[in-house]
Amino acid sequence: MCHCGIIIHKEKNTTYNALGDKMDKIKIGIPKALHYYYYGTMWKAFLEELGCEVVISPNTTKDILEQGCKLANDEMCLSLKLYLGHIHYLEEKCDYILVPRIDNYGTFEQTCTNFLSLYDIVSNLFKTPLLTYNVDVAHKKSELEGFIHLGISLGKGKEQSKIAYFHSIEKFIKMRKKQRIQELKKLNMTNIKLLIISHPYNFEDTFIGNSIKKILSDLNVTAIDGEMITLNENRNSEESLSPNLYWKYNKELIETIPVIKDNIDGILFLSSFPCGPDSLVNELIMRKINIPYLNLIIDEESGSAGMETRLESFIDILENKKTVR
Amino acid sequence: MKKGYLGIDIGSISTKGVILDEQHNIVTSSYIWTEGNPIKAVKDLLHQLKESLEEEIEIYGIGTTGSARKLIGLMVDANVVKNEITAHAIGTTHFYPDVRTILEIGGQDSKMILLKDGLIEDYAMNTLCAAGTGSFLSSQAKRLGVDIEDFGHLALTSKNPVKIAARCTVFAESDLIHKAQVGYKKEDIIAGLCKSVVLNYLNNVGKGKKIMPPIVFQGGVSKNEGVTKYFSEVLKEDIIVDPNSHLMGAIGIALLAHKYEDGKMRSLDVADITFETKGRECEKCSNHCEILRIYKDSKFIESWGSKCGKVS
Amino acid sequence: MGDYAVPAHFLLSHIIHNKIIKPKPITSKTIEIGSKYSPEFVCTPFKYTLGTLIEGLDSGAKILIQAGGGCRYGYYAELQEQIIKDLGYECRFYNLVTAGKTDFKRIYRMMKEIDPKFSILKVLYYGSITKRMLKYMDSIDHYIREHIGFEIKKGSFEKVKAEMLHKFKMVKTHHELKKVYQKYKQEIENIPIQKPENPLKIGIIGELYTVMEPYSNYELERTLASMNFEIKRFTNVTYLLFQKHKKVKQYLKEISEYVTYQMGADAMDNIARAKELCEQGYDGIIHIKSSFCTPEIGAMPILTKVCNDYNVPILFFSFDTNTSEVGIKTRLEAFYDMLEMRKKR
Repeated sequence: MCHCGIIIHKEKNTTYNALGDKMDKIKIGIPKALHYYYYGTMWKAFLEELGCEVVISPNTTKDILEQGCKLANDEMCLSLKLYLGHIHYLEEKCDYILVPRIDNYGTFEQTCTNFLSLYDIVSNLFKTPLLTYNVDVAHKKSELEGFIHLGISLGKGKEQSKIAYFHSIEKFIKMRKKQRIQELKKLNMTNIKLLIISHPYNFEDTFIGNSIKKILSDLNVTAIDGEMITLNENRNSEESLSPNLYWKYNKELIETIPVIKDNIDGILFLSSFPCGPDSLVNELIMRKINIPYLNLIIDEESGSAGMETRLESFIDILENKKTVR
Repeated sequence: MKKGYLGIDIGSISTKGVILDEQHNIVTSSYIWTEGNPIKAVKDLLHQLKESLEEEIEIYGIGTTGSARKLIGLMVDANVVKNEITAHAIGTTHFYPDVRTILEIGGQDSKMILLKDGLIEDYAMNTLCAAGTGSFLSSQAKRLGVDIEDFGHLALTSKNPVKIAARCTVFAESDLIHKAQVGYKKEDIIAGLCKSVVLNYLNNVGKGKKIMPPIVFQGGVSKNEGVTKYFSEVLKEDIIVDPNSHLMGAIGIALLAHKYEDGKMRSLDVADITFETKGRECEKCSNHCEILRIYKDSKFIESWGSKCGKVS
Repeated sequence: MGDYAVPAHFLLSHIIHNKIIKPKPITSKTIEIGSKYSPEFVCTPFKYTLGTLIEGLDSGAKILIQAGGGCRYGYYAELQEQIIKDLGYECRFYNLVTAGKTDFKRIYRMMKEIDPKFSILKVLYYGSITKRMLKYMDSIDHYIREHIGFEIKKGSFEKVKAEMLHKFKMVKTHHELKKVYQKYKQEIENIPIQKPENPLKIGIIGELYTVMEPYSNYELERTLASMNFEIKRFTNVTYLLFQKHKKVKQYLKEISEYVTYQMGADAMDNIARAKELCEQGYDGIIHIKSSFCTPEIGAMPILTKVCNDYNVPILFFSFDTNTSEVGIKTRLEAFYDMLEMRKKR
């Protein structure tokens, strides 16, 4: 491995960095991939309040992508490959890496099975010790309990962990509210407005999302991130589209469609190849909505040339429609 | 008269034949294109082998391997019919008893064989499409207007290989066109292709496998110096390419034909018999199996393809 | 799904009065239809089941019943219903299981809708017979798998089993079922076999649909039997319906050095089985799944690690609707040769 950076020696429970300075804080690595885009703010706030140092891997680089593809099985989805690449980046740069196991937030709020097996995949492929917590509300394992468990495994008290959790939640809600207001403001724009239905770990990732964001802004299109305007008061509005949907993250995406459908010109479905839940849910939604849409599926070899052509012609169609109207 | 053993390796792109004597020396060998017609290819091959013999030889064993092994096995009355993985391993260990890893990239598929003490320890075959195999490289060479024979050589002249997305044939082609249009140098694109073949192979076939030296590289693509160079560069090991590397499957199966010799003498004159296959779609159920009926000198001998086993 | 159509038909035909259209066995036609109307990278069982449903509609079905859960299976029904409606079929579609949960009240309501004469008592009675039938079938299959490669007269096992299944369809009571089972059990055990002293033993693990539907795994078991392997397979309906929930805890305990959590569908179970096979001295393991099966993909790196630790070879197959049969055969033959070489060592 050729990453330079901080090398950590472990001696008698005290950690030193390469320069020999004593480091009291436990260093915890967080891969900037998959559920980082949901819970990253919370984790950072929680761990820092408990006196840990948080190391977040950088935006996806070519190297991270390549390492991820090397470690992953061919059939794993691009997002999982990226996740493994980020973990690889963090190896030897921290004392622990945080890999939670998030199964569900209730029977009808499940996650993709990758989120179930993530912890075990990582623990078998990498050497750095892992920190984890388990959320399985259907089996009475709440997020709060998970965070308390996390705090305890860091040697902190139950009460202290509980308080840190509530603080982190507060921070998280504040951030989400701000994001939502910002995103909703975009609905007042007069240019072409495109609702993006994409898991945040895809659209917000630099490798997957950036080139698309750039193409859209070059085309003078307002991209509205569906995930950011998930509205609590509209919970279950997705039922008109898919009554039996049980994937939490897909629900949160598509429930925005009925709410803002009159304010947008089109929808961009963006998935990583071969995403399991998206393969079914997006197909169903596309069959049910009466709004122009484009379905883009990205894998590690998608060139921006192909994406540009597709997006451009789609926006052309939307513009034509708008002028006719 | 001298005793000999014939090995035939019928691949999707080329057909290889070799005759060994009792001491396992190569008496003669031949190599021709399959061109989608294994029966004709084998007839021509046997003809060539016979012509090239300097002294007469009695064939006491015939082995067939490769994708058309079963059909040709019937045609030439082989005493051994074996898959190409085993045949390649046996052929290679004959020349390199210590070999630990065999990298093989052929016309349509690629494989990796790991050995220990001359025995197969583990193996893997490509799971994806033909991208990164011989036929893929030749079609890309054609697209770039380069003779496939010069391909590897040209790759060596590049200082700056271009990164090419070669996991899937379709993507690779569009990427290639794009890179050529943008104005990259031809040798850099070729080198990039060779490198991506190596990386793809290691990422797909070689996933999770421990590659130990000595390493032997064979199959049609091993003739490409560019690919060999990048294998050695990426693996940081020496790569052995045998001048007879394309014959290893045929040699291996000839060795097996000797091992399982049944005392019956065989003839090289199959070239003159008529051997026909007739394919038809069975209509008896909605399975619509492709039934293949095989005739030797107009006599029906076997049929394949029925899923229910009730139809012949 | 394979022979399980027999008990499924048995149960439904006794508890509802509607006419039941028995699904035809899966053929290349089924797959063609299924693939045509399926999204591109959905896992393969979706295509198979969609094909089966459409074929059912073409033979006149008006009500479709679908059940499943654990991973993507649970969402199949909703999309399949939409696809079928978009194709212009008129039918009612019932999904018995939602979000992997079996809600009995909901099922009862649905069944009442399908058939107003639906009675719980009948369900309990015939349900218990069906349960027993499944157990019998799976135990017979278990025996056959270990012996089928070595029968003296090829095809004897399959012939007797087909006869047994035919008789199963006609039983009315527990007693009758038991009598039929005992008769054929004896017959099957009496089939002469010639087994070498130490045959190569192989375990099959993997994604449940592909493991249980012979068409989708390109008749893997039959091919292995013809190559004289002794076969062990774990997943069957008895396991999924009646044993899984009890086994899970034990499995997690057995493989605590590798796995901490459940991984969706049967992924964790398969890791435990792989370890079990390694410890029991099996010569090799074959892992099969349909393309894009997410839970099993997650299990694969861990399976590789377990098998490396025990030095037992594992062969992975990912079946699509157009996998090359020749390719499968070549890989299997090479696998056999390799295991034989390792055994001699």
